[in-house]
Amino acid sequence: MSSLSHQWRSLEQLAEDPDFVTRAVQEFPGLAEALASPHDRRRALKLMAAAITMAGLGGCDWAPEGTLISAVRAPSNIVPGLPNFYASANVLDGYATGVVVKHQMGRPIKVEGNPRHPASLGATDVFAQAQLLDFYDPDRAWAITVHGSPSDQSDLRTELAAQRAKIAESRGNGFRILTGAITSPTLTRQLDALLAIYPEARWIQWQAISRDNVAKGAVLAYGKPVELVLKLDAADVIFAIDSDLLSSAPGHLRFARDFASRRNPTRTQKMSRVYAVEPTPTLSGSVADHRFIAGPDELHMVVMALAAGILEGSALSGPPDWVGQVIADLTANHGRALVHVGPDQPPETHALVHAINEKLGARGNTLELIAPVAYPVEQAEELADLVKDMRTGKVSTLLIMDSNPAYAAPGGLSFAAALKRVDFSLTLTVLPNETSQATTWAVPMAHPWETWSDGRAFDGTATILQPQALPLYDPVSIHTMLALFTEPAPAAALDAVQATWKTRMGEDFEQGWRHALASGVVPGTANSKSDVTLRPDAGRQTPPEPANHPLTILFRPDPHLWDGRYANNAWLQELPRPLTKLTWDNPLLVAPERAEQLKLRNGDMICLSVGDASVTAPAWIMPGQAADCVVALLGFGEQHAGTVGSGAGFDFYPLAGRAGAPSLQKVSGHVVLACTDHHNLIFDETREYVRHATLAEYNKNPQALATGKPEPHLYRWKPKGPAAWAMSVDLNACIGCNACVVACQAENNIPVVGKEEVIREREMHWLRIDRYYEGSPIDPDSYFQPVLCMHCEEAPCETVCPVGATVHDSEGINVMVYNRCIGTRFCSNNCPYKVRRFNYFAFSHEEQRPPEARNPDVTVRGRGVMEKCSFCLQRIAEARIAADRENRPVGEVRTACQAACPTQAFTFGNMADPDSEVAKRKRSLLDYALLADQNTRPRVTYEARIRNPKPPNEGNGG
Amino acid sequence: MTDIPASNARHRESPIGGSRPPLLRDPVVLPGSSIGSMTDQICAITLRERAFLWWWIAMIPAMVLTGMLVAAILYLFYAGVGIWGIDWPVVWGFAIINYVWWIAIASGGTFISALFFLTKVEWRTSLNRIAETMTVFAAACAGIYPILHLGRPWLFYWLFPFPNTMTLWPQFRSPLLWDFFAIFTYVASSILFWYLGLIPDLATMRDRAEARRKQILYGVMALGFRGSDRQWRHYHVTYGVLAAIMAPLVISVHSIVGLDFAGAATVGWHSTEFPPFFVFGALLSGFAMVLLLVIPLRHLLSLEDFITGRHFDILCKMLLVSSLCLAYAYMMDAFTIFYGGDYADRTQFSGKISGSYAVVYWVTILLNVVLPQLMWFRRLRLNQTLIMLVCFGVIVGMWCERYTIVVMSLRRTHLASAWGDFHATFWDWATLFGTVGLFGLGILLCVRFLPVISMFEMRGLLQRRPREGENR
Repeated sequence: MSSLSHQWRSLEQLAEDPDFVTRAVQEFPGLAEALASPHDRRRALKLMAAAITMAGLGGCDWAPEGTLISAVRAPSNIVPGLPNFYASANVLDGYATGVVVKHQMGRPIKVEGNPRHPASLGATDVFAQAQLLDFYDPDRAWAITVHGSPSDQSDLRTELAAQRAKIAESRGNGFRILTGAITSPTLTRQLDALLAIYPEARWIQWQAISRDNVAKGAVLAYGKPVELVLKLDAADVIFAIDSDLLSSAPGHLRFARDFASRRNPTRTQKMSRVYAVEPTPTLSGSVADHRFIAGPDELHMVVMALAAGILEGSALSGPPDWVGQVIADLTANHGRALVHVGPDQPPETHALVHAINEKLGARGNTLELIAPVAYPVEQAEELADLVKDMRTGKVSTLLIMDSNPAYAAPGGLSFAAALKRVDFSLTLTVLPNETSQATTWAVPMAHPWETWSDGRAFDGTATILQPQALPLYDPVSIHTMLALFTEPAPAAALDAVQATWKTRMGEDFEQGWRHALASGVVPGTANSKSDVTLRPDAGRQTPPEPANHPLTILFRPDPHLWDGRYANNAWLQELPRPLTKLTWDNPLLVAPERAEQLKLRNGDMICLSVGDASVTAPAWIMPGQAADCVVALLGFGEQHAGTVGSGAGFDFYPLAGRAGAPSLQKVSGHVVLACTDHHNLIFDETREYVRHATLAEYNKNPQALATGKPEPHLYRWKPKGPAAWAMSVDLNACIGCNACVVACQAENNIPVVGKEEVIREREMHWLRIDRYYEGSPIDPDSYFQPVLCMHCEEAPCETVCPVGATVHDSEGINVMVYNRCIGTRFCSNNCPYKVRRFNYFAFSHEEQRPPEARNPDVTVRGRGVMEKCSFCLQRIAEARIAADRENRPVGEVRTACQAACPTQAFTFGNMADPDSEVAKRKRSLLDYALLADQNTRPRVTYEARIRNPKPPNEGNGG
Repeated sequence: MTDIPASNARHRESPIGGSRPPLLRDPVVLPGSSIGSMTDQICAITLRERAFLWWWIAMIPAMVLTGMLVAAILYLFYAGVGIWGIDWPVVWGFAIINYVWWIAIASGGTFISALFFLTKVEWRTSLNRIAETMTVFAAACAGIYPILHLGRPWLFYWLFPFPNTMTLWPQFRSPLLWDFFAIFTYVASSILFWYLGLIPDLATMRDRAEARRKQILYGVMALGFRGSDRQWRHYHVTYGVLAAIMAPLVISVHSIVGLDFAGAATVGWHSTEFPPFFVFGALLSGFAMVLLLVIPLRHLLSLEDFITGRHFDILCKMLLVSSLCLAYAYMMDAFTIFYGGDYADRTQFSGKISGSYAVVYWVTILLNVVLPQLMWFRRLRLNQTLIMLVCFGVIVGMWCERYTIVVMSLRRTHLASAWGDFHATFWDWATLFGTVGLFGLGILLCVRFLPVISMFEMRGLLQRRPREGENR
């Protein structure tokens, strides 16, 4: 700082100060080259200004002298007001999902799926959408710290030089690198190189949400690791065993798309039939035609009976009757059947299912086996070994990159205690967390949007991750960090990534690289089919008998916070969980029977203990859960997650990895949980809202579910615009995944309100997914229904607003004029669908979110104003302008929800054009209007849900 | 009848003294008071140098509550309507409940003073000043709520149809706009009517006041009324015209309040029954509030000569009639819901009568329908304690009724996914009781500084009395 404390006259003058330039260049690598080229002076000044801010001058109370000139000549590729798009990928637990990041004036403002990417096909999951908020998170790590005190790059490099010497001397003995699962070719290459230099060093891959069982099962079945690529569009019969097929399996967006393509009888030749058996409801189970509940014991029996039935043709006694039916249906559909099992089932079950799938002719038809994408290791064992080595003092240097073991390692291991025995430990992390608090060094990691990297999808397809913005702070790329352990001045991340791909792309590198960046995929990188053969003993595997405990804890990732890495993301915290509709909390999920037994109501405190560890948390009654299971959702209860996530919910990791029988007691106390659902669990008029029928019923009377003729009107006003915007929502496709909700939130600058305000029922989501149960609470059917503004042609909201703040436009959109709204809230009263949201407080103003993260095309609403879905009016306007410029009718518009939806449940477009997709869907026999009796003529209609249960009279063999 | 001796005992202790219980065959004005003595008595109350002790005691809670109202409003403007308990499905809460409640109370006063003026009913003369004062302050309390209710209250004037640079008009299809017009008209004409009725009395006060400042004050307020024939002629015509305007306003303002609800397609509101239903409720609460004010004032200000058993009898009968009308409306409410057979309506209704807030509905029925049935008995109509209790019950019951209408309907809307609940916050209650304080403050100030009985009309009554027989 001393070099900057003297007076200086202008930035130009300062730029000639060699001392300052050295420092600035150190922190802003681009600065040197910018200074070198005279015509790039503008950029140099910008970088300098940033460097000055970084150096602490920005906070001084005197303004720089001289004249500052704004960037009058903008970069050539940026047109003010028009977005730019750059492809990248969102990497979760190793597997990449292609995204395209939308920029306005150089700032990322929205994430879209990449249609060219096999794991996305244009869709995104909730995590990819919420990445935006993570990138701009004000809680991000921004400084290097040693034991919590600030340090800097040069100290770090000095320390690393010492470490390099020490590690080199011991050939890497005592050096451990801990990462999550890695598919990045560059990182893998670097790690392999490092391990070659330091042969005694060890690289441990571990992630809190383990897929070990899947990998081990494949090895048991085929003798070596393979991965699955499912083809659900080719499957007529699917049997999902505790499966994460539609929610979190690598490639789940793709699977959901394929799954949905066979679910609407008006568009598919033959509807698929889905059976699911699971201890606790999953998304796959919720959309299944037959869902069966089975606790660990029963599930074991089911798997054994299934294996016996399919592999040996013999029937076992004991399992429930329905297993026979499933076996019959599966075998009858040879080559068109598929069994899928989730990562929580033991490896032997996976091996058995591999054998069953081979027997059913699934391989080559409904699934393919490929060489593994992720670096195959046995994570749990490796972590246990690491902790043992740490405890015994064998580890002297520990590098933890993008992993949070101090929080998420199973409680039985006591990772944090073992960490104290390590001399030198360094955490590289984007957000400060428990591990960065516990290690000696903590280094801010470059967010994936700030650096170059690469990653691979579930099928092996590689994507180059390009930076989306200049680094906000002063981070270190994961590639640089790793290289710093082998050389003092490693190549920049870009060079490291390019080095990897130069060898792979060969001569056409320049063109191939540019093409890979532009399209977001590196063509031809998908893993080839594996020609492994099933080991003969695969079908004779016996899954271990479940422990004979009266209660089993199922540790599952929270559907939105995953293993806890998204705990500081307010969008994900406040996103109602698909089935429970809970926000900001993770109560223990208990089955209705157990709740009755313990006299529990939602929110009553219970104490769950295993061995000597126990956690007291509220209970939540989960319909459709096995009575002998209690579900502990992981990812909550972090203490150092940041201002949003710290202290939200309860941490169940301490209970993981412990032996002994779990027990559950009711303790005194009751808390109110922030649930967005307030009606009786079982609602007997669901059929009115989510119209549904079985396939047989539909075939008998296809018209039965449609709305039918409109009711009479006294007066009808017809919009006279050239287009008639409308939407159709296919309830057969909706899997309740919430991607649309968070996409809508990102697109439309929808504020989060916080737990207290959710409890007071003031959440702001414009689009919500209603979940209804039908049947008994023990084993109900569940139905999802996305509800957004219906844009009624006869909109009840419009007639009651005294100031005309909500009106119809010429293209049939019910628009909200925020500036005119005085907040009488009459419109919300009069809305039968209750899709309007009111700013009771200045929610947007109070949000901890930089304004540049918002969508500049959408007004940010102030206090006292009503708001609601606008059909993404800004996107329509954009399309309209484009069409006007080209003098053609307005073309395709994709709303944010539609774009994000993995199953294409939403169709939006111009209803007036009979050839448009939306017009076609509205002609569907299943098309109906919600609350048709209100006669509001909604522009949003639904396609009724058809289920395809096996008809009782259909004999075995279909 | 046990408490009549008791109340007699209390009267004897009263510093004002000379109390007489209301009796069955009382005339409208008791014999013994002449034009002069009446004027003396009424003027004396107003022109006292020092206020009564009870007045000061009553002022304390009124001022405290009004102060609380001011604080609640300032905080509301600072923080936003989120400080209240309203939420996503229940977007309307106490502001609307309290508004409807107060405006209903107000209309009772107008009914007595305007409608019965037109029908030339004698007993009105003793009550109309108190009733009108009640109307003015109840309407004022009601009038502030629609503005507080707004999300952006500083833009309330956008409801006026005024030419503006945005060339925007209000939306004339909205019941809320007509409601705004109706209240505005009603408040404005209530104040006018009240003030016009005061002018001759203010002139009397001017003439009787001894202190110079009082002479000036009342003189200015009397607007130069000197009692010339021409002035009287013009005065009577104007008063008659205003009364003719006011009488239908009672019905219209409350019908429009009813239409605020009926005009919405909301479950439980969408009923053509609402306008008359609201008028019935308004009359009931109006009569109850008049009785609640008249009984203590009669004692405290020794108005036994002018407010007699006859008044109690009539007011209680009116109370009973309006309670019966309201009972009919409640019955029809239930009937139409089950006759109509709409699922959401039925769910809402069964939630209302048996759900978690069912007690509110049954309290409404008890206080508004069951208790007023006591008024069938002639002797009970003269039992002041009992009347006070019943009237207080009706005032509470009417508030509960509005709570049922607003909250219970909104929390059970068409889609089950949008069901919700409502929990009032401290600020909700502070605003409600704050306006009670404001109302009390207004009444107390008027009792202190303005004649509580319309002297000039009373003089007319006393003049006519001998002709009509003293023992009527």
